[in-house]
Amino acid sequence: MESDKALRHSGWNLFRGYVGIGLQSFGGGATTLYLMRRVAVEEQQWLSDVEYTEYWGMVQIAPGINLLGQTVLIGYRVNGFRGAIIALVGLLLPSATLTIALTAGYAMIRTNPQVAAAVHGIIPATVGVGCVLALQMLKPALDSSRAEGLRSLWVYGLVVIGAPLLLAIAGLPAILVLWGAGIWCAVGALWIRRGAA
Amino acid sequence: MDPWQLFWEFLKAALFSTSGTGNLPMLHTDLLAHGWASEQMFAEALAIGQLSPGPTGLWVLSLAYLIDGVRGAGLALVAISLPPLTAIGVQIVYARHGSQPAVQGFVRGLLVAVASMFVVVLLRIFVQNGIDLRNIAIALVALVLTWRRTIPVPIILVLAGVIGVMSTQF
Repeated sequence: MESDKALRHSGWNLFRGYVGIGLQSFGGGATTLYLMRRVAVEEQQWLSDVEYTEYWGMVQIAPGINLLGQTVLIGYRVNGFRGAIIALVGLLLPSATLTIALTAGYAMIRTNPQVAAAVHGIIPATVGVGCVLALQMLKPALDSSRAEGLRSLWVYGLVVIGAPLLLAIAGLPAILVLWGAGIWCAVGALWIRRGAA
Repeated sequence: MDPWQLFWEFLKAALFSTSGTGNLPMLHTDLLAHGWASEQMFAEALAIGQLSPGPTGLWVLSLAYLIDGVRGAGLALVAISLPPLTAIGVQIVYARHGSQPAVQGFVRGLLVAVASMFVVVLLRIFVQNGIDLRNIAIALVALVLTWRRTIPVPIILVLAGVIGVMSTQF
């Protein structure tokens, strides 16, 4: 039993598992998340269901792509820092290659009028899908604001209205708006807490 | 185009976002300001990111390829691979200070700002593509179908492409 576990936790097995995820997860993030859970929790048992969810919460606040953060934490758990690199390279090797190849193929035919017509139809759909992404990011944050009360709604509601205006109309650099929003809400969180006490 | 400058733009945007598409508002402002990318390229790259394997966040590889070929894509790949490594540090720090309200407020504020600014970028892409009844209908139908999870996103995009081709035929 122990040797079986050692085998599953070997660097090679970690690499193989992640190459498989990177190769099969056509259809973007949702498929990747689904496959990663199946491989890491159910098939290889690198970590428990609870840990997987805990990690997923953690990577929401780490910089960069969440699924890559999740990959790093799982790799780190299995095989230390070496494992983190192995898992990351395993996931990216096939998926990045395929993404670049797909783009290269597309770049060759993008001037074709039929392709251009298709793209003109796809762009509004991408915008629709993007709106859902934005709503999915916003919803949990605003739900907790509602639960916290009026002060919290003021603090975060002002960001929802203010950040796009500062970007679009005042023309401020995005990085400045982001820092501003972060500091505003850090101070706001203390004010919310005082109101609750 | 200075490749290091391009690398830095991708790295900076990844460092200041906490999801695969959170880097969109910053990249959009900065790359457009340099004159390196067009609205159309952003839309194309986002669509490819939804279809290709791996995280949707790999859309930046597609964007970088359209801007600067294989060299650009390679630089972007390194730029998006580095920030997630900090998750290990975040895990350690968060275990210690994560319960501080100011820390939680900062993180949530960043997230809310990114999501709200997202909408501005999407509107600009939409307007650039042309405002007409067909495009508005496609966007709304795609929004509802994605929200209700009726059809997987890649299929929605393919169907929209078919509509795009058909509507020029008749």
